[in-house]
Amino acid sequence: MLFSTIPFFEFLAVVLALYYAAPRVARRPILLAASYFFYMSWNAKFIVLLLTLTAIDYTAALWIARSEGHRRKLFLIVGLSGNLSFLGFFKYYNFLADNIALLLQRPPHSFALAIILPLGISFHTFQSMSYIIDVYRGQQKPIRNPLDYALFIAFFPQLVAGPIVRAREFFGDLYNWKRPVGEEVLRGVMLIGVGLAKKLAFADQFALVADSYFSNPAAHAGALAAWKGVGAFSLQIFFDFSGYSDMAIGMALLLGFHFPQNFARPYLAFSITDFWHRWHMTLSRWLRDYLYIPLGGNRHGTLNTYRNLMLTMLLGGLWHGASWNFVAWGGYHGALLAIERMLGRKMFEDKPPMWLYPFRAALTTVLVTIGWVFFRASDFTHSRYIISQMFSFAHHMPNLAVPVWLIWLAVFSVMVAIVEERWDFFNRLARGPAIAFIAVMIATMLMVELFGVIDKQIPFVYFQF
Amino acid sequence: MRTALILLTTAFGYVGVENLIFNAGWYAKIVNPDSSTGQVNEFLYNEHHRLKIGGKQVLAIGDSRMGFFPRFVNAHPGIDYTFGTIAVPGSTPRDWYYMFRDIDPTRTQYTAVLIPVENYDDVEGWEINADRETDLHYVIAQLRWSDIPEFAGSYVSPSLKAKAALGILLKGSVYRADFQDFLADRKKRLDYVHQVQRDSFGWVYDYEGPSYNVSGDEIDWKAHTILVPPDHRPDEAKLFTDRLFPPPAPATGRRTAYLSYWFNRIYDLYRGTRTRIIIFRLPRGPYPPPDAPPRNEHSSVRELARKPGVILDDEHYFDSLERPELFQDPMHLNGAGEAEFSKMLGKHVQELLSK
Repeated sequence: MLFSTIPFFEFLAVVLALYYAAPRVARRPILLAASYFFYMSWNAKFIVLLLTLTAIDYTAALWIARSEGHRRKLFLIVGLSGNLSFLGFFKYYNFLADNIALLLQRPPHSFALAIILPLGISFHTFQSMSYIIDVYRGQQKPIRNPLDYALFIAFFPQLVAGPIVRAREFFGDLYNWKRPVGEEVLRGVMLIGVGLAKKLAFADQFALVADSYFSNPAAHAGALAAWKGVGAFSLQIFFDFSGYSDMAIGMALLLGFHFPQNFARPYLAFSITDFWHRWHMTLSRWLRDYLYIPLGGNRHGTLNTYRNLMLTMLLGGLWHGASWNFVAWGGYHGALLAIERMLGRKMFEDKPPMWLYPFRAALTTVLVTIGWVFFRASDFTHSRYIISQMFSFAHHMPNLAVPVWLIWLAVFSVMVAIVEERWDFFNRLARGPAIAFIAVMIATMLMVELFGVIDKQIPFVYFQF
Repeated sequence: MRTALILLTTAFGYVGVENLIFNAGWYAKIVNPDSSTGQVNEFLYNEHHRLKIGGKQVLAIGDSRMGFFPRFVNAHPGIDYTFGTIAVPGSTPRDWYYMFRDIDPTRTQYTAVLIPVENYDDVEGWEINADRETDLHYVIAQLRWSDIPEFAGSYVSPSLKAKAALGILLKGSVYRADFQDFLADRKKRLDYVHQVQRDSFGWVYDYEGPSYNVSGDEIDWKAHTILVPPDHRPDEAKLFTDRLFPPPAPATGRRTAYLSYWFNRIYDLYRGTRTRIIIFRLPRGPYPPPDAPPRNEHSSVRELARKPGVILDDEHYFDSLERPELFQDPMHLNGAGEAEFSKMLGKHVQELLSK
């Protein structure tokens, strides 16, 4: 059930109706049942995996809280190992097996297994890990009610692709639940609408161009086609993932939960450092708090800081997918972050003067766009080829066809982002004049209707992680 | 309360704005004339603007097989009637109902309307006619909100029912691809639309069909094989095989139900008026099969013919045209065939209406 499909909206309508019609005591079980139904609609068998991970983390947290000293650490390790072994097997086994086969000069896939990647495993594993680490650190009390904990892991708006929510954020809302009213309802509806438009009218339209390029880059030789194809993917992945996040945050809001922001106009970032403060913010936060800082952060000298940055980004890359391409993507960003730090931290963290901002933002976007090649290309050879094409300074035919109105759509989206950056337009919309809300929502729905890719179901990019 | 009011206003506002853009009539005028919607609009536009002198007007409808061209009979010394045509390639009886309703709102314009059929026995095919999704695209400009129950309800598949209902309610969802195409080059579209409005009457009424014919093909009706001369089209054998030897479809009664429903709806339009409905069988093809399908006494057209004002023509009237030199493929008449057919039909309608 994709968020952008009619069956999902039917499901959401039923869940909302049941949730608010039921007595308060029945609401959590309803949400949990709905979340499991949502998960099982993808593959019912994997519910066993989700339940097992839930049980491991629930128990580990209780044991950690009850224990002291080495035993406390032991239970933390047991809990983390449980999560990482499942993640490792399902996500990284074949990657490892293929590389071993390569090292031993055996045919590719000699040791590979037919493994299906469980839906959202990277996201809910990180969420579980943050929970037991927080309990270990004493920053979070263990959850006594197993159903509450199960809901934290399986909550359908963010089960598949985040945002990665912290336990204290989720349980703060769960235990002090208040019925969303007025502004929150409008904001929830607006986020769902805007997210749907981002996905169907923008991401999927750009996906058509990106897919036609990346499916056969050699058929569209030349720098212009390469930049068009990679640029289209750059826009696709932003609209796809931020659209999904908006919808997830909006749905959660309608159910009375407040999720953290996940995107803040990343293509207006003035540096790579700034980009990572704006892109997939809940993952950046997770990597900072549970990897970068525990590794030492910037506390142990310049070289160690670079090492920690690099390690964090390499692992962040690997978290996205089990391939050298993702490692390279992480390494590329790690290197850029290290270079920025080398050139002067202040310069890349402080907002540049107005006259310089557009150039810095453009340069950052270009650098990020080059990085997306590793993210999207099927393998390393293709990545190298595409990057070489981007800088070939040659224009060959046949070129990649991009409808004119799609370019206008891209320009329009940049203008909306600038307005949003300057005036925080969407955040203020729900509490502003009703006429503005109505006008924006009508325009949003028209965008979905007229530009949405409806006949083809293009899955969310991050669903594969 | 305020929130609910805002959300309701948003919903109604959206439907209102959407309908203002796509249901107020102006967008239908700039639809790509080559699209299915555009073709229906173009034929109806021409018929609306055709100069109709005298009260003896006859209107033909049909799909691409209706090779009737009024120029062969209009102003002919022996024929008192003036003919027009709104036969749109790919259109179906469901579309025809909405086209007739649009073109003759007062039901006073025509002495007769001509409806062609493939056979009088409702021979079943594999296609579920009621679930033909493209019908929505053909007549979207003619559909109104009040048509939702009937038009959407006439689909069998629930998802198509929903799609049709939503399409009529929010026509932009049907025009989506056309709208994107329009945005790609607005000037080119508008210029083309104006050109079509100016010239398409001539394109349709003066059209001369192809001269190509399928003479020389050899059909083995027992072995289900076709021998095509080497200078013929490369896909001709396949076209004939698909047309003449399709796998037999199960008798479900779906086709009779579908045709009965829409022919009766057309009949309802003209019930009690002076307009006669003339139904006739098209020339079947260049090589008509030796075996006729089993006779269906209760087929849609035979049942309809029992009603006043309906004329069911002699089934074999056009058999003499079923010759390979008059066809361009297994289904369509060529230029010569269209000329003969048009003349024959014109004279025959005169005879039928004079009785």
